[in-house]
Amino acid sequence: MTDTTLSLALVLYALAGFAGVAAFRRARAWRAGQPARVDWVAGLRALPRRYLVDVHHVVGRDPFTARMHALTAGGLLAGSLLVLLSPLPGLGGSRLFWGVVALLFAAMLAGGAMVRRRRVPVTPPRLSRGRFAFLPLLLIGYAAGALLVALDGASGGWLWPLGWLGLWLAAAAGLGLVNQIERGPMRHVVAGALHLAAHPRPGRFEGRRETALAPLDLDAPRLGTETPADFAWNRLLGFDACIQCGRCEVACPAFAAGQPLNPKKLIQDLVATLEPGGSNAAYAGSPYPHARPVAGRGGPDQPIIGREAMIHPDTLWSCTTCRACVEECPMMIEHVDAIVSLRRHQTLELGAVPEKAAPALAELRYADDAQGRPLAARTDFAAGTPLPLIAARGEAEILLWLGEGAYDMRHGRSLRALLKLLHLAKVDVAVLGPEERDCGDLARRLGDEATFQRLARENVATLARYRFARILTADPHALHVLRNEYPAFGGHYEVVHHTAFLDELVAAGRLAPGALALAGVTYHDPCYLGRYNGEVDAPRRLLDRLGLDRVEMARHGRRSMCCGGGGGAPLSDVEGETRIPDLRMEQAKATGAGIVAVACPQCTAMLEGVTGDRPEVRDIAELVLMAVEAAPARPTRQPEPVA
Amino acid sequence: MKITVLLSAGRHPVSARPCPPAVELQALRLASGLAADITGLHAGPSADGVADALGHGLSTLNLLTIKGDSDPLVSLAATLKATTPDLILAGRQAQGGEDSGLLPYALARELGLPILADVVRIDAGGEGLLAVEQVLPRGARRRVVLRLPALLTVHPAAPAPLPFTFAAARRGKITQLQGVDSQPPSAAPEERPYRKRPKLIAKSAAGASAADRLKAATEAAAGGGRLLVNPAPAEAAREIITHLREIGVLRR
Repeated sequence: MTDTTLSLALVLYALAGFAGVAAFRRARAWRAGQPARVDWVAGLRALPRRYLVDVHHVVGRDPFTARMHALTAGGLLAGSLLVLLSPLPGLGGSRLFWGVVALLFAAMLAGGAMVRRRRVPVTPPRLSRGRFAFLPLLLIGYAAGALLVALDGASGGWLWPLGWLGLWLAAAAGLGLVNQIERGPMRHVVAGALHLAAHPRPGRFEGRRETALAPLDLDAPRLGTETPADFAWNRLLGFDACIQCGRCEVACPAFAAGQPLNPKKLIQDLVATLEPGGSNAAYAGSPYPHARPVAGRGGPDQPIIGREAMIHPDTLWSCTTCRACVEECPMMIEHVDAIVSLRRHQTLELGAVPEKAAPALAELRYADDAQGRPLAARTDFAAGTPLPLIAARGEAEILLWLGEGAYDMRHGRSLRALLKLLHLAKVDVAVLGPEERDCGDLARRLGDEATFQRLARENVATLARYRFARILTADPHALHVLRNEYPAFGGHYEVVHHTAFLDELVAAGRLAPGALALAGVTYHDPCYLGRYNGEVDAPRRLLDRLGLDRVEMARHGRRSMCCGGGGGAPLSDVEGETRIPDLRMEQAKATGAGIVAVACPQCTAMLEGVTGDRPEVRDIAELVLMAVEAAPARPTRQPEPVA
Repeated sequence: MKITVLLSAGRHPVSARPCPPAVELQALRLASGLAADITGLHAGPSADGVADALGHGLSTLNLLTIKGDSDPLVSLAATLKATTPDLILAGRQAQGGEDSGLLPYALARELGLPILADVVRIDAGGEGLLAVEQVLPRGARRRVVLRLPALLTVHPAAPAPLPFTFAAARRGKITQLQGVDSQPPSAAPEERPYRKRPKLIAKSAAGASAADRLKAATEAAAGGGRLLVNPAPAEAAREIITHLREIGVLRR
């Protein structure tokens, strides 16, 4: 072993010690949180898989970043680890060993150069500046320094002047990197790895749909999240994992519309509150658009939301709960859980709901409908169409859940088309009629967990009285709540969306659509169907069966953009620069399609509300009916039994 | 200042479920703007639908238990005589019961208090005084300063109720007190044959357009005339004479 390589190993031992101390000090901040049940053994065992598969799946959407991170992180970790092992007998003396180390640090150097490359000639707005602008220099310095030392080792000490220079460089830059563990970009290395192991939704990594909100204990002394200490500790850990890559910011519809929400800044504000006397001053990324003035101060035991605190209420209520940020986050942070938890405190403890949301919640509480309409009027849209009530028969093969869209004249048209198709396919269908209450989606996203739980229990009790094979609905919000959130209240149902069901009927030959000669069609994925439930194929398959010329918007499938109608956002109505549906309609228009196919009453309402020259908005059921009616009259095939 | 807000057992107009009438929750909001000691008062068999007022800015609810068909007036009057609040607030009309809107008047007579109807805004007006904004027909507002104690009824045009707060409703205290059972309020109302009221309809000039005739008819039915605020006596007299000449009561 040469003097320089031995010194490098010693320096790295010291740096590793410092890093351990820094990580430990930061870990104390997480201990302020509430206890959470974490399966450490399973988590740590699954860590490599979660990192290499799940994280890479997200990071890999941007191949440049994926390569950049693989080179930097791989080179840093593997190179440093080998240097730490070099004092072992037989290793440090080998010139081949130092050749390998040199190769690793050369890779890291390339990665560091790529980190820097992203900011040349100008830093993209989604990336943070401040400590983050410094990071590429530290990475390059450390990699270059260690590379020189390793080259010296590989050459057997011939390059000793360069080796000593490299040692100093590596030590200085290494100290800088360690310094960035407690507050700075390097924190994501420690917090991110632990967060993957102790993730609050481990099912995400096992292919399960972990999108349901967790029920709140309504007997708890304090409801929802007021201070950072009210979050579970592993949620705090998750916030710390943020590397401020800004992917969430790019995906966030509220940010795009100029509403005062930026998921990245929201997470950083939460991070800032973890320290006593915390302040948002150090943040150097994009601000909240049209940020409302706040004090920007906080601490583990101080309220998070408020003009005198860290986050303005308008920021909290701008969210449409579309989960685009969660979908994009490479660190697997659960932004929407945090937002709903904060909303729960505002609603249940403080009664601080947006002005227009209060009457809707009151009507939900006393009349089971957000606009206080009679429940019996829900079936008015179907006047003249046979619509059997399940109460009269006790059972049906398919229970059609109408949802609140049924009151809306526009969505009524889609539902009539669906009913007609069901009738043509001779599906045994019935509705709850006046027994159907609001599913509680709106109340829950607005933080009114008490009303949600009451509605859920009463709906589950109603559904328990009848026998049916499946629930069919044209409302992805109701679908998500019935399928994923009612199980916590004892309601386990097989719920199918009408796009998937119609697809089944066509596949089974029970519906025979003709080819539609229409201008191109582009499909807008509802968040609660695509992102929340992963159903992106059936609607497309169905459109293709109609012989339509289908084009995709740039953002589609699980990475689709929200219409602005979810999470009670239309009621919160936070002012921005433009409207989210206008943005989405622009994207649809850019495809040149003549029709936007939708599959959700909220999306229909939001996108139809766009003024000016735009593609037509049609629910998929309406398109299928058009195709079926356009088909040349011929006997339908014998229906095969549906499994 | 001690404020008592009268609460009634309302029903939701669509679902018919127990639900506090919105106008009483608006009364609660007006009261909570006064930095006062607020108590809710209800006389009835149970707190169904009334207790939710605890989520709208009320911390204590006194429940006077009486039989379902008892006249609540007797119990309310007895309690209010004993507790002597400075200000009593009531909704303009209950929701889902008889809804006659008479109880506040009957109570004011029983307690010997002045009553002012249809209030939309209350401000502290100095020692023992209250500055109040009252709703008049056709969108007019009147500012009134009145001496306490008094009974006010609140108009639906008052600011919207404070949003419901589940945790506050959970924390709120309900004190059960024994009310006074009494005869039900007279069930048989007085019946009289229908008499058509004469309507003063201004006549527009013959041959005027249908729109003019409609305007004349509706304006007269709604009172017509001009509103003068604090006019000089001579000016007021001139206006009255002009008006009487216009409608043809005075010939010259």
